[in-house]
Amino acid sequence: MIGRVAVPVVAVVTLALPAVLDDSALAVYILLGLAAMVTVGVSLLMGYAGQVSLGQGAFYGIGAYTAALLTLGGVPPLAGLVAAPVVAAASALVVGTPLLRLRGHHLAFATLAMQLILLSVAGQLEFTGGDIGLQGIPQFGVGSWEAGGAAAYAYLTWAGLALVMLVTRNVITSRPGRALRALATSETAAASSGIPVGRYKLVVFALSAAFAGLAGGIYCYYTGYVAPGSFPVLISIQYIVMAVVGGLGTIWGAVVGATAITLLVQGLDGLATLPGMPSYAPTVLSYAVYALVLIGMVLFMPRGLVPALSRRRKSLSERV
Amino acid sequence: MSAFLTYLLNGLAVGCAIALVASGLVVIHRVTGVVNFAQGTFAVVAGLCVSSLLGLGIPHGVSELAAVAVAAFAGLLAGVAAIGRRDTTPLSSLIVTLGVGVLAYAVEIVLWGDQPRSAPGLAGSVTLAGARIQTQHLLVIGVTAATFVLLALFFGRTYLGKALTACASNPYAARVVGIDVRRMGLLAFALGGLLGGLAGVLVTPLRPISFDTDVTLIVNGFAAAVFGALTRPVVTLVGALLLGVAETMAAGYGYGSHQLEVALGLMIVVMIVQASRRSTLSQEVT
Repeated sequence: MIGRVAVPVVAVVTLALPAVLDDSALAVYILLGLAAMVTVGVSLLMGYAGQVSLGQGAFYGIGAYTAALLTLGGVPPLAGLVAAPVVAAASALVVGTPLLRLRGHHLAFATLAMQLILLSVAGQLEFTGGDIGLQGIPQFGVGSWEAGGAAAYAYLTWAGLALVMLVTRNVITSRPGRALRALATSETAAASSGIPVGRYKLVVFALSAAFAGLAGGIYCYYTGYVAPGSFPVLISIQYIVMAVVGGLGTIWGAVVGATAITLLVQGLDGLATLPGMPSYAPTVLSYAVYALVLIGMVLFMPRGLVPALSRRRKSLSERV
Repeated sequence: MSAFLTYLLNGLAVGCAIALVASGLVVIHRVTGVVNFAQGTFAVVAGLCVSSLLGLGIPHGVSELAAVAVAAFAGLLAGVAAIGRRDTTPLSSLIVTLGVGVLAYAVEIVLWGDQPRSAPGLAGSVTLAGARIQTQHLLVIGVTAATFVLLALFFGRTYLGKALTACASNPYAARVVGIDVRRMGLLAFALGGLLGGLAGVLVTPLRPISFDTDVTLIVNGFAAAVFGALTRPVVTLVGALLLGVAETMAAGYGYGSHQLEVALGLMIVVMIVQASRRSTLSQEVT
């Protein structure tokens, strides 16, 4: 009931916002959308398939580098944007085949190691531009139309997010979705009821990588610049914070979590750049926020904001 | 030949530092089942502390001990956050320690800034069978050897150490005979902080340390601990020494830029081999 009212309202607000926001606010809006896109994948992976990835930033980076390299090589931007999630998913399939034999903290460290290796390799190879990275990436465009302003990227980002959410919803409500929920609780039980555990885990891993790759593709056209420094380990941790805050295994939770964290960090940034604050204040505050929110949520609200709120709503309506 | 010996001895020293970080991981994991992501942080905190204390003119020895004590306290705090609440699953605790590590970034930048800092250690070098080796390297090897002997004595011969081992092998049975499992877990975290701090104090004179050095430290430490399946200290020591020697050799013979990849690749391979030898059921939480 509430969902039926809320979805159109959210859609209308989302579509109206780029028209009214100024450029700096639009930048936040775009980065928020991109973060939400990656977080939906993380939430799917952690909440449904029960796998922790500390290397989601790697796929974000792969998507960005793919789109950037292709476009700089003369391929139309649209093809670059399509290739970004495809290449990210393909590399997830390759990397995931050995890695997904691991679970729990082993998988967490292995995915972290994967991102560190990737960053180190990208910083050394010639064609990725080394530590300096790739610059002068052309604007995104289709045919003769070219995305000029930030508003166009905002629409592109949120269209991408809508697509990602739709795909996730369909996956969750399908038969494989039920299988995923089963294998998150016990792989042995799932396997003995005939679920191809390994294949399903791999597919979800690839899907979440594709989401991150798409976000990375849009990111590279928007900023026109990619470098290893754009994808630090902290970015992967940030996605986990967002997914945990919103509530693992909920699609809207990922969006709510990304929004909450982005706005919180932005608000504190505004505070930290006030005159009289030390120069390190913005970095310190954002680290502190990530850390405290993560610890607080895991300990005191482990199911996340969205499930906690909807449960409260349910219990209220039952009382009425 | 003498170059080889130099690399070997330097590699052993690097491996010893890794072993100290890894042994902290193992102690905490054995007792609580938690993989402590903030283990590298303890080393960083101790390293930064020692550079400040020596800068203030406090003599060697006192500064190092104080820094290790600070790291042990940091370990205790991390433990309170990670296992202080009942019903925190090990994976939730891992994420909490991740948060502790990031929180430490904020504190470290406020206190010490974001530039790498160093500290003076033992100056000079000795020549051993034609190989020059820094005295500090020898100190690292000596302290690590002593620490592992003390750890073995502590776990094997003292009542407290045996209680810790009891918690590790069967927490339920340990509770039945009256051991406070949670207090033992906190003690393990403090011990882990102490071991991490020791590593930090020893490493800081060799290579400058900054707030984000902890990622390299924890990844190397975890790689070593994985050799011993996160439970066996002696295998961990061997793994750490192998890793240190392999990295130093790679750097010495001109593959220095691939040092990190060597360590990480090795870790992933070892984990996958170990995982394939265990059944799925044995790894699932019951």
